[in-house]
Amino acid sequence: MGARPYTTAEPTPKAVTARKDVRVSVLSLDKAFGRGDAKVTAVDKVSFDIGRGEFVALLGPSGCGKSTILNMVAGLIPRTGGDILIDGKPMEQGQVRREIGYVFQRDTVFPWRSVEANVGYGLEIAGVPAGERRARVAEALDQVGLTAFAKAFPRTLSGGMRQRVALMRTLITQPEILLMDEPFGALDTHTKLEMHRILLQLWERERQTVLFVTHDLGEALTLADRIILLSARPGRLKEDFEVPLERPRDAVALRESPEFARLFSHIWHSLGEEFRKTKAE
Amino acid sequence: MASKQSSTTVLLWRVAILLLLLAVWQWGYDLRAFAALKPYVPSFLDPYFVSKPSEIWKSFLRLGCLTDRGGTLHGWSGMTACLAEDANNIWMATAVTLKNTFWGFLGGTLSGIAVGLILGRSDFLSRVFEPYIVAFNSIPRIALVPLIILMFGLGDISKIVTAWIVVFFVVFFNTFEGTRAVDRDQIAASRLLGANSWTVTRTVVIPSTLAWVFASLTPAVSFALIGVIVGEFIGAERGIGKLIVEAEARANASEMMVAIFVLMVVGILLAIGVRRIQAYLLRWQPQFDQASA
Ligand SMILES: Nc1ncnc2c1ncn2[C@@H]1O[C@H](COP(=O)(O)OP(=O)(O)O)[C@@H](O)[C@H]1O
Ligand SMILES: [Mg+2]
Repeated sequence: MGARPYTTAEPTPKAVTARKDVRVSVLSLDKAFGRGDAKVTAVDKVSFDIGRGEFVALLGPSGCGKSTILNMVAGLIPRTGGDILIDGKPMEQGQVRREIGYVFQRDTVFPWRSVEANVGYGLEIAGVPAGERRARVAEALDQVGLTAFAKAFPRTLSGGMRQRVALMRTLITQPEILLMDEPFGALDTHTKLEMHRILLQLWERERQTVLFVTHDLGEALTLADRIILLSARPGRLKEDFEVPLERPRDAVALRESPEFARLFSHIWHSLGEEFRKTKAE
Repeated sequence: MASKQSSTTVLLWRVAILLLLLAVWQWGYDLRAFAALKPYVPSFLDPYFVSKPSEIWKSFLRLGCLTDRGGTLHGWSGMTACLAEDANNIWMATAVTLKNTFWGFLGGTLSGIAVGLILGRSDFLSRVFEPYIVAFNSIPRIALVPLIILMFGLGDISKIVTAWIVVFFVVFFNTFEGTRAVDRDQIAASRLLGANSWTVTRTVVIPSTLAWVFASLTPAVSFALIGVIVGEFIGAERGIGKLIVEAEARANASEMMVAIFVLMVVGILLAIGVRRIQAYLLRWQPQFDQASA
């Protein structure tokens, strides 16, 4: 199956022309599951782009197709229509790319590997020599305060610690594009804030291009430069706006600032409408 | 959790029951001497059928070449002479049965894992072979033993093949199920971290399937032993099964009991061995917390 030729007949989102250094372009992306009567349109003509080093949050109610979009960008599932461009080049269907890192919503830490073996996994299969691997794993564990648990098996760790392992397992391979699917969705509020602090710290250093899926407005505001708001199913692009909060941000202090509260309540009205729609179904 | 007190009590009860059973076995049938008790003594306690502990112990010492027929202890040279005289002495028989069990178990396990992984990872192959596997699996394995002996002779090979086939199916089905139960997100995570298809199999599918495989190994090792023993019943030159059949021909209950006890010990040791390996390899799983600590 050859790649579908890219045609300019599709409506080109204005952002593509406005932003110079575009890393990822999502063009008129469609996804339907099943056929005939059982057909479910999960994603409907969604277009947006992400600039180099930009942190974008994909925000929308549960079941609106956020994971589906992310999985198509990751090349994990085929798309029904539309194109995904990385550095301007179209991505082939079902292709997994080296420069993309992915952090799952579900716990995907390998339970049969110790913490250090989990974090070193990507380096191990890339054939990085053991000595260098050990040093990089040690550094990664140190960055997220897991040094003392290097030899432990995941079952002995809390949910927050396991998600830090998953995060470092991805970051250690130095992906330039980071896709995150509600990675902190299962954590309690306190642990979640702590993870935001850690993620912001790590991101400030490397400035990866991030697409971060969440249904939590506070989380999106805390982390992102830009928020892409999706409608309830089928997922359509509803709004696309910048987050006017300065960097570097302190995840905890930010939450207490009046600016944050003002932004939150402003956007909440738009989002609240979408949440009511999902509940009514 | 069990307190120290109660586990001591449990142990005391166990010992008491053991002693009671041994006593009934040893002297129960003698109670028929008392006319009043005679109707209450079941006839299966007849030493002709079940022997008695003291006789079994004597038979063990004699079969093991530790004493001569009169019951006096052999010296070193007496013992070696006695062992040389009987090619199927109890030690040799045990070693042969164990050896055949081991190779059958090993072969059946490895081939069961390999075929289970191959079919489990390929939808096409699993669909092609499904009817054959279902058909072959519905044959009671023991029914194949005479055929196997016909094909491979009275020697050790036929016993190994029997155990192999029995173990293969147990391990194969578990491995196959295991590959179906692998977490799809873990596979996706592995691919996204740069793994190709073989690396995914090696680093995700196999380790996560091992939990299923090992769950089948404890029954598999017992099945291997059963396979070997049945093979030895039907036609063999050596082995514990052969010893039992010979003792039966001579209506010698105590020798049969010796062989059965040896099998019991062998069975227990094999199960413990497998569980040890299991506990080490699955030390990442919560249920093996204690075993690995
Ligand atoms: N494999 C699938 N088969 C059928 N429907 C699916 C599948 N995956 C997702 N869906 C449907 O697509 C919609 C979007 O799902 P998803 O992308 O997981 O939503 P979100 O991540 O925003 O919560 C949901 O209604 C879901 O039921
Ligand atoms: Mg989701």
